[in-house]
Amino acid sequence: MNRLTDRRRRGIGADMRSRFRRRLRVTLLGTLWVVASAATCIATAATTAAAAGVAATAPEAPRRVLRIGLPVDADSLDPSETDAQDTMSIAHLLWGTLYKTSSDGRLDPYFAVSAKLSDDGRAYTFKLRPDLKCESGAPLTARDVAYSFDHPADPKYKFTGHASGFVLPALRYTGARVDDPLTITIQFAAYNPIALGLIAEMFIFCRAPYEAMTPEYAASHASATGPYRLVEWRHDDRIVLERNKSYGLPAPSYDGVVFRVIPEASTRTAELLAGNLDIMSGVVADQIDAINHSGTAKVESVASIRRIYVGFNQNPKFAASAGGKAIKDPRVRRALQFAVDVPTLCDALLRTPCARMATMIFPANDKTGIRADPYDPDRAEALLDQAGYKRGADGVRFALTLQTPRGRYPNDVNIALAIAQYLTDVGVKTTVDVLDFASVFVPLVRQHVAGPLFLMGSSGASWSALYDLSDFPAPDGGSNYTDFADPEFFAGWKLIDQTHDPEEQAKVVRAMMNVFHDRGTWLNLYFLPDLYGVSNKISWRPRADELITLD
Amino acid sequence: MALARLLAQRLLQSLVVVLGVTLVSFATLHLGGDPTYLYVGEHASTEEIAATRAKLGFDRPLATQYLGFVRDLLHGDLGNSLTFHEPALGVVLDRFPATLELTFAALGLALALGVPLGVFAALHRGRPLDGGIMVFALIGQSIPSFWLGIMLVLSVGLAWHWLPISGRVPLLDPLLAGDWRTAWNNLPQALPFLVMPSVTIAVFSLARTARLVRSSLLEVLSQDYVRTARAKGLSEARIIVHHALRNAWLPVLTMLGLEFGFLLSGVVVVETVFSWPGVGRLVFNAINHRDIPLVQAAVIVFSLLFVGVNLLVDLLYLRLDPRIRLA
Repeated sequence: MNRLTDRRRRGIGADMRSRFRRRLRVTLLGTLWVVASAATCIATAATTAAAAGVAATAPEAPRRVLRIGLPVDADSLDPSETDAQDTMSIAHLLWGTLYKTSSDGRLDPYFAVSAKLSDDGRAYTFKLRPDLKCESGAPLTARDVAYSFDHPADPKYKFTGHASGFVLPALRYTGARVDDPLTITIQFAAYNPIALGLIAEMFIFCRAPYEAMTPEYAASHASATGPYRLVEWRHDDRIVLERNKSYGLPAPSYDGVVFRVIPEASTRTAELLAGNLDIMSGVVADQIDAINHSGTAKVESVASIRRIYVGFNQNPKFAASAGGKAIKDPRVRRALQFAVDVPTLCDALLRTPCARMATMIFPANDKTGIRADPYDPDRAEALLDQAGYKRGADGVRFALTLQTPRGRYPNDVNIALAIAQYLTDVGVKTTVDVLDFASVFVPLVRQHVAGPLFLMGSSGASWSALYDLSDFPAPDGGSNYTDFADPEFFAGWKLIDQTHDPEEQAKVVRAMMNVFHDRGTWLNLYFLPDLYGVSNKISWRPRADELITLD
Repeated sequence: MALARLLAQRLLQSLVVVLGVTLVSFATLHLGGDPTYLYVGEHASTEEIAATRAKLGFDRPLATQYLGFVRDLLHGDLGNSLTFHEPALGVVLDRFPATLELTFAALGLALALGVPLGVFAALHRGRPLDGGIMVFALIGQSIPSFWLGIMLVLSVGLAWHWLPISGRVPLLDPLLAGDWRTAWNNLPQALPFLVMPSVTIAVFSLARTARLVRSSLLEVLSQDYVRTARAKGLSEARIIVHHALRNAWLPVLTMLGLEFGFLLSGVVVVETVFSWPGVGRLVFNAINHRDIPLVQAAVIVFSLLFVGVNLLVDLLYLRLDPRIRLA
């Protein structure tokens, strides 16, 4: 009886479980149906959003919009504080400058119609265009230009951006004089042969709106004078610009520009290939083929003004080690130039052809006639033998450490490893030390104690050979990271200051570069190839100065 | 009384955890090198660097700097972000809705799918369906979120054009600001952007939830009181939902508290892949730029939230399990 009851109970239990499973199955199927329906709704919404274009999320969808993908967000939209290179591309659309640099490195009048250097070389007088306007529609006058220089120079605000941290100190700016509403004179402490180019890097903005803004407010709000005005800045997401109706100069070709911040390179590439971007910067080497074979976009490359080199640090800190002592000898530094096969490095690791750097001057401005050293390991070995550094029993002449940042420059760690192998092949045993860029590498470099070898990139200019030399302003200069102190080289600066004749200056530059080359100051590598993904729907060419412009 | 003591004990423990977090984050970031170089221009002279160091107090002993930091923290001042030139706490809180939106969506997805899958697997123990669900769970827990994210971008976004690849339309921000209309209007546009990142984050949690629910439920289903309930003739649904699941929830609830923290930390990678403008990306960039005040603000906000959620879980535990109240 008990067994029967037990069996019946089990039977009832099994039946109930079975019914429950059926219900559960129905419930699960129902859930799946709901999820599928929701997915369909979402997909429909997504398609609608895509059809309306990416700018559908912006307050108003401009008619003809250029969409640009950047890896990083803007650092600040205060014209006195902007600094990062990607921000400069945005800033040049928001504000004008007195002169502007063309894509081939020419300085052309922009907000100014003319510039005249004073007889003593310590002032530039600019005549302004009469049709300049602030975003509000008010006329832009010489008073506004003076404010555009005085405001970033004001120590009260402690600005550290490109204008206040580099341009104005390099210019040795002393003040701006308003001669009349359309004439302004920019004054500086001493003659500076690259003054006009430096002035061309100063954004011109209107006094009234910026006097009303706190620096904190100005960092994320803009009052434009350039071809576009700021519509919206969604931090870490997008910056939306639209045509500035008050801009008195010829209207730009696009009604709007949207800069989208997409840090991950593969996502940026996917957005380009999906047709959601027109231009993307920072194409990585392993995606070149994917873009070029997509049929929707192509990769455009340009040798940029950023020089990639290995610094031979001559800081006394390294003199105690055999390697540190060896690289103080110019003959050793010269020898090592022949040990590295730069074109092969570019082909193999950057997947872009590049020529070896002959000097630190951007090729378009390089009139020195110095030719790049070829790859010749036998010559490197012979020169090292002549310098007295013969191979030991273990085949090693001396040992060095090569420090490199990780992820700062394209494929930097692998480039450093390859260089280390080339140097080891000629008997210079080289160990690579990989460092975090911001927290470790930069402090070491800026204290001049990186290395004794360190992989570095340094930005020059497309418009002046002299600008490119400014990494070495003095033996104790802040940006002279290798503590290079050759008196013959630095005597050149005095000679340049003494003449205002560009031809004479070019001769001095040639002499300085000969010293730089003969002393093997840097291990010259290449001008970094910049890679951009460009949609087939537009025609656009990149510039060497890393600015994304719409000219 | 015992409950009040328990609560006080938990709060005290939470405070110790938060202080520990501040100490560790402060020490770690300062051990990375001298932060003075962040505040000076590239061409600053040695004298300018020294003056800036003294002005900012970076020349003081680390312990003194830390005490100053804690004092400011108690006043709600976490300093200004070095990159944003704004109060660091404000910058973090601005991005927080985006991260919370993603975290809640992922948690909701993990629960909505993980719990039924776990129940289903437990009820079909040893059958192919159970095996299938467990294989799915194993795969879900093994796939790196970075890889899954990129695969979704390439397939769902790029190849099939079903969903937008990256970006975000704000949903929680207007909601928190009390602007229901904007939130409602944004909803149709926001959902497509939310799907891929939340699925990427949720897959791991979903798999873990399913496994945990399955094992908890199996354990509970073999208990005497379940047999008794069946013997009393209760329906299977009632037994599962009212008796078995309620007790099986306890370990799941513990895991949920931890899961919330895991999801918050997991968003760093996913926010980067999908260009989601949240705190994860903010912290990633802040670490790269050594924006110390910003990293500290984010770490403190994260730890407060994490500690708060776990405190809440503890309280729910008290509610769900009377044995703890009585212990």
